[in-house]
Amino acid sequence: MFALALSSLRHRTAVFVAAFLALFFGAALVMSFGSLTDTALGAGVDAASEETLVIMGSVVGGWSLLLVVFAVTSTVTLGVRQRTKEIALLKSAGAVPGQLTRMILAEVLVLALVGAALAVPLGTAGGNLVLGLLQDSGQVEAGIAHSFGAVALGQGFGITLLSAAGAALITARRVTRMRVTESMGEAAAPRARMTGWRVGAGLLFLAGAASLAVLTVTLGKGAGFEAQQYAGTADILFALGLACFAPVIVRRLPLPGFGTAGALARETLRARSAPLAAALTPVVLFIGMGVGTLYMQDLDGEASAGLLPEEGQRTIETLNYVVTGMVSLFLCIMLINTLVASTAARTREFAQYRLAGATPGQVQRMAVLEGLAVTVAGVVLGTLASLVTILPFSYARTGTWTPDLDPFIYPATVALTAAVVLATSLLATRRALAVPVVSAVAV
Amino acid sequence: MTVSGGAHSRGMTNTEALRLDEVRKVHGADGNQVVALAGVTLSLPAGTFTAVMGPSGSGKSTLLQCAAGLERPTGGRVFVAGHEMKGDETELTKFRREHIGFVFQHFNLLPALTVLQNVTLPLRLAGRRVDEARAAEVLRAVGLGDRLSHRPQELSGGQQQRVAIARALVASPSVIFADEPTGALDTRSARAVLALLQQAVRTYGQTLVMVTHDPVAAAHADSVLFLADGRLVGRMIDPTAEAVAERLTHLGDELVRKGA
Repeated sequence: MFALALSSLRHRTAVFVAAFLALFFGAALVMSFGSLTDTALGAGVDAASEETLVIMGSVVGGWSLLLVVFAVTSTVTLGVRQRTKEIALLKSAGAVPGQLTRMILAEVLVLALVGAALAVPLGTAGGNLVLGLLQDSGQVEAGIAHSFGAVALGQGFGITLLSAAGAALITARRVTRMRVTESMGEAAAPRARMTGWRVGAGLLFLAGAASLAVLTVTLGKGAGFEAQQYAGTADILFALGLACFAPVIVRRLPLPGFGTAGALARETLRARSAPLAAALTPVVLFIGMGVGTLYMQDLDGEASAGLLPEEGQRTIETLNYVVTGMVSLFLCIMLINTLVASTAARTREFAQYRLAGATPGQVQRMAVLEGLAVTVAGVVLGTLASLVTILPFSYARTGTWTPDLDPFIYPATVALTAAVVLATSLLATRRALAVPVVSAVAV
Repeated sequence: MTVSGGAHSRGMTNTEALRLDEVRKVHGADGNQVVALAGVTLSLPAGTFTAVMGPSGSGKSTLLQCAAGLERPTGGRVFVAGHEMKGDETELTKFRREHIGFVFQHFNLLPALTVLQNVTLPLRLAGRRVDEARAAEVLRAVGLGDRLSHRPQELSGGQQQRVAIARALVASPSVIFADEPTGALDTRSARAVLALLQQAVRTYGQTLVMVTHDPVAAAHADSVLFLADGRLVGRMIDPTAEAVAERLTHLGDELVRKGA
């Protein structure tokens, strides 16, 4: 079964590359912040430096961990679902669900181990970068050497292996227990499902975000920049909560007009909701976290203009920018990743449209319109999530619920997201269309 | 079939539906070339049902793909209903949706669309008026009147193939190409599909070209073209399964003798 698992890694390249990249960059992100805790634990670190490093390592490390779990879960799930048909064939050849689950688990674990091992140099570099920034701004003593140790390795390997294995087990259980005919249908039109755990996790995240918003306006009121410790995570939790409901949202996305291509895109949103729901998640997180954190920092800067920065304020500022940068990069890669993998899996479907008389241009328009619908939905939900950070923080820090916000940050973030989604769907669709129609439909 | 008003006069006239002029197809790069079609010339009148047969590797699939505009011939010309097939991919697509219908071994229906949407898809893509009532009527005629809002994957193979046939019929193309249409079906479904294809020619006056390796399927056609080594090597009018099978066997013998 293990040999079979390895040979199956060689097929379905796009989705494996996607899962691999999620594991690789996810592990690197977690290791970067984990190594700051390792550094704090080293000998000869003074108390102030230690505190800064521990905050960085645990707070930021903590929620980048959440994002990585989400990203890994979503790509691994997509990968296992894309193989529904192959699994059905193996079942009809006599494989029992237990064997198939072990096969899928073996594959995913190999992928996670390799991804995490290769991520060590990048994680070291990332940790070094953040430490260097902290030292440059004088928040950590210059002499402290970066250390990459047990915490970085433990978190990096632990999180990727556990979330990958968890996602593989949950999805594999469902896929391998389907009847053969049922899974053939599922392979043809993968529908996103609102499972119980999605509803539960979603409500939990939303409740967490709401309580942080309340804490921001109560405990955070008058606490100066320290209100960020409540406000800063509210947008991320709210975005994660909304992302949990992506399956129901994608199926109901309004997409008016646009002729035949628009009508076909609407059908796809309803019938093939799983891959599009997977693409919606990073958009919501990217907008929610990016816009929320940048405006929070902007408001904080305005509120303390002319005053000497308080102790710790600069740490938080560096933290906000560096971390927003690193996490946004990670989410951006995830977004491209998901779109490329789910488009590559549609090569045959695109060829079938071509055989029914669609010109290459019509197929392109359809795919780009789907991307557009996902972008608009992601921007709306992400904006909602960012407001859960921005408005309470504005009230706590400046006393008003209606702050004057910088007019460029928001449109720039939205434009960047739209550009990434549309360019990726355009290029990925063009690649899928480059396969000759006759060979794309050959079974 | 009980479709009224669907029959076309095309079948009654004796115009030419498909003409191939010295069509050649060579696969592979210099030094490693394989000749799939070595100059095929043929002409099929409108309203006829022609089967194309030959041993595997004889070039019958390539012939269908070149004639249907899915592959570009290396040399020669293809005319459908008097129009030459040429141009870039977009022009070829527009030509195909105007003139050509397809029925494939593996159906190639869109899983995201319902049965009715699959049938009207070519019309929508071509920007033509979609007459849903007529599409539903054709679906009823192929025995799927109660399956309009099902998705293809909820149907049996035979039912999916009947949807594909309905899709080809609704656009009333100049020629329908069927590539091993019964290859993935059980005997009973295969017989139903062949009867339906036959009726498409008799009732609707459609022109049909079917590639098959099955003598029983070929016997449903008006005539059979035999292909070997990329060349047309014979023709049989009013074929029977036995005669076709015998001819195929001897085709093998001839090839072996020629090779020896």
